[in-house]
Amino acid sequence: MTTSENRPAKFSGGTRYVLDDELAKIVNISMALEMPLLLKGEPGTGKTMLAHAIAESLRMPLIILNVKSSMKLIDALYQYDTLTRLNDSRFADSGRDVSNIEDYIKMGKIGQAFVADKKVVLLIDEIDKADTDFQDDMLDILDQMQFDIMEVDRTVRAKNRPVIVITSNAKKDLSDPFLGRCNFHHIAFPDRDMMRKIISVHFPDLNRDLTAACLEMFYRLREVRGVEKKPATRELINWMRALQADPDFQLKQLKSANIPFLGVLFKKSTDLYLASHQ
Amino acid sequence: MFVNFFYTLRDKGIPVTPTSFLRLQKALGMGLIESLDDFYSVTRSLLVKSERYFDIYDQAFSVAFRGMMEQELTDAELTDTIKAMLSEWLKDPGGMAEALGIPEEQLKKMTPEELVEHFLKRLKEQTEAHHGGNHWIGSHGTSPTGHSGYHPGGMRIGGESRNKSAIKVAMERRYRDYSQTGPITASQMGEALKRLKHLQPAGPQDVVNIDKTIYQTMRNAGEIEIVFDRRLADRLKIKLLIDNGGWSMDPYVEIVQALFHYAQFQFKELEIYYFHNTIYSKVWLDPHRYKKPVPVDEFARSDPETRLILVGDASMAPYELNDPRGAIYVGQNEAQPSVNYLKFLAKTFRHSVWLNPVGQDSWFYTWTVKQIAGIFPMFELSLDGLEKAVHYLTSRN
Repeated sequence: MTTSENRPAKFSGGTRYVLDDELAKIVNISMALEMPLLLKGEPGTGKTMLAHAIAESLRMPLIILNVKSSMKLIDALYQYDTLTRLNDSRFADSGRDVSNIEDYIKMGKIGQAFVADKKVVLLIDEIDKADTDFQDDMLDILDQMQFDIMEVDRTVRAKNRPVIVITSNAKKDLSDPFLGRCNFHHIAFPDRDMMRKIISVHFPDLNRDLTAACLEMFYRLREVRGVEKKPATRELINWMRALQADPDFQLKQLKSANIPFLGVLFKKSTDLYLASHQ
Repeated sequence: MFVNFFYTLRDKGIPVTPTSFLRLQKALGMGLIESLDDFYSVTRSLLVKSERYFDIYDQAFSVAFRGMMEQELTDAELTDTIKAMLSEWLKDPGGMAEALGIPEEQLKKMTPEELVEHFLKRLKEQTEAHHGGNHWIGSHGTSPTGHSGYHPGGMRIGGESRNKSAIKVAMERRYRDYSQTGPITASQMGEALKRLKHLQPAGPQDVVNIDKTIYQTMRNAGEIEIVFDRRLADRLKIKLLIDNGGWSMDPYVEIVQALFHYAQFQFKELEIYYFHNTIYSKVWLDPHRYKKPVPVDEFARSDPETRLILVGDASMAPYELNDPRGAIYVGQNEAQPSVNYLKFLAKTFRHSVWLNPVGQDSWFYTWTVKQIAGIFPMFELSLDGLEKAVHYLTSRN
């Protein structure tokens, strides 16, 4: 790191990420206090993108742990590759030392973040998919910054404390001890001004009329009553990309009743029906 | 530092912990918080761990630090306030008269223009901005004229903000929709739906699972262990009765309908009926309560295991509930008072609940709410309330 010890590196946004002031403060304070940052928010509001932006802006490598419902904590830490060892013991042509178990330990994502020589950004994506035990045990490890490898009786300590970003879609409520150890932020849905900035970052040379018309339509469609899954930023960007790619598309189509590519915005068939028959 | 603020948050029901408070002190000590704006965001991220409480936090913050606020109303805010005042005037002339200090009789004769003029004059007389009284015009008072008042009429006009200070941001109450205590909003639809998905019956555990029994028995080295599964239970029948009369229910009718329509596939049968304020001898299948009346007596013939869900604010004049001639429509003559019909329904369907969009705190100020809550188990129409109601409806007793 180029900055001195007591003035930690500050995050101020990435090339493809528009950061609001509030979030910037929270990211910086989390890094300063060395606490994991838990992000919640509607799907498609850029929770995952934030970690990418932090990594890019601070020039740190990014390690992503995609949490799955069936995942065990140990998978995220390390793996003892018994199969390769068995194979080596029979054919012995790999150069690995079969009697040394250490050679067959592979680091998982959290393990990689701990043993990395540089400070890294560790993104733990969609933590809510895993069960409560996983979450609590993981926070213990992230708190202590160390874990044991049982097979070789060795403790792995983090060389550098990674910047940890955790995202949740709030499918389940997270446990209190978990929440207690995190810094929390809820990413609200961007308002029009913010959205205009986001669009201009993604489509730098889009003409202003088109942006305005698209946003107008987008916010109107979000208002359609009874929709279960409202379109979010991600859907808007994909939709605009689709509109751009279509050579036949004309601005006036947006003003007519027949809106092109509605399926990009609405992913559920009932929602799509509601939106097109509003 | 900020110990009082910490306890204010605790008193308001946000689960803040001492550890997180110490962390805030650490952050303050490190010089990471340089302005009130920083303090607002950082404290929230450290202390408040769910967006449900953000709204309460915003309110507490704007009260605690209001002394630092700009106290002049700008033009735009003034326009908003006047708009709000006029709509409030239509809803509650009595309260408005009191707030402006003119007799109600006189107020009734005033045109909107005169009223606005009077209001502006009143505003000029104020030598200083006033927050928290019940008479003058300002913010956070109990007077209905002004910004984010606590007046039960419930108006809220957040002035569009320009140079946003933390307090202004807090005053906007952006997280109102996420607040868990308030009535369900459209943005909570997904969450509400998840809670509704538990509205399914569980059969008794009395079906032998042969495969698992063999497996377990083998694991026990021959010691027989019989594994039971739950018997499949038929899906539930639901009768949903919605009070769709009057503006007080308007915002909730559609949300409740949409909610149950989405969940429809998980029910065996979903019937929606409408009523106004309370139930007499008839309910209606059409929202206009005109074309398709259904006599309440007919419900006696339906399956008693049907889950009956009533949605309404249960607030009305006492005679509407207790007098046979209480129905508010002319020509609707009833043999029995409404309360008898309600008791009949509660007896017919042993699983029934009443969902009330009005917050639990204010239930016991209204006599009829107390009465109805004595007949049907009453729950708030909020995420928490819905969860409890679903639990109640599926429990086996």
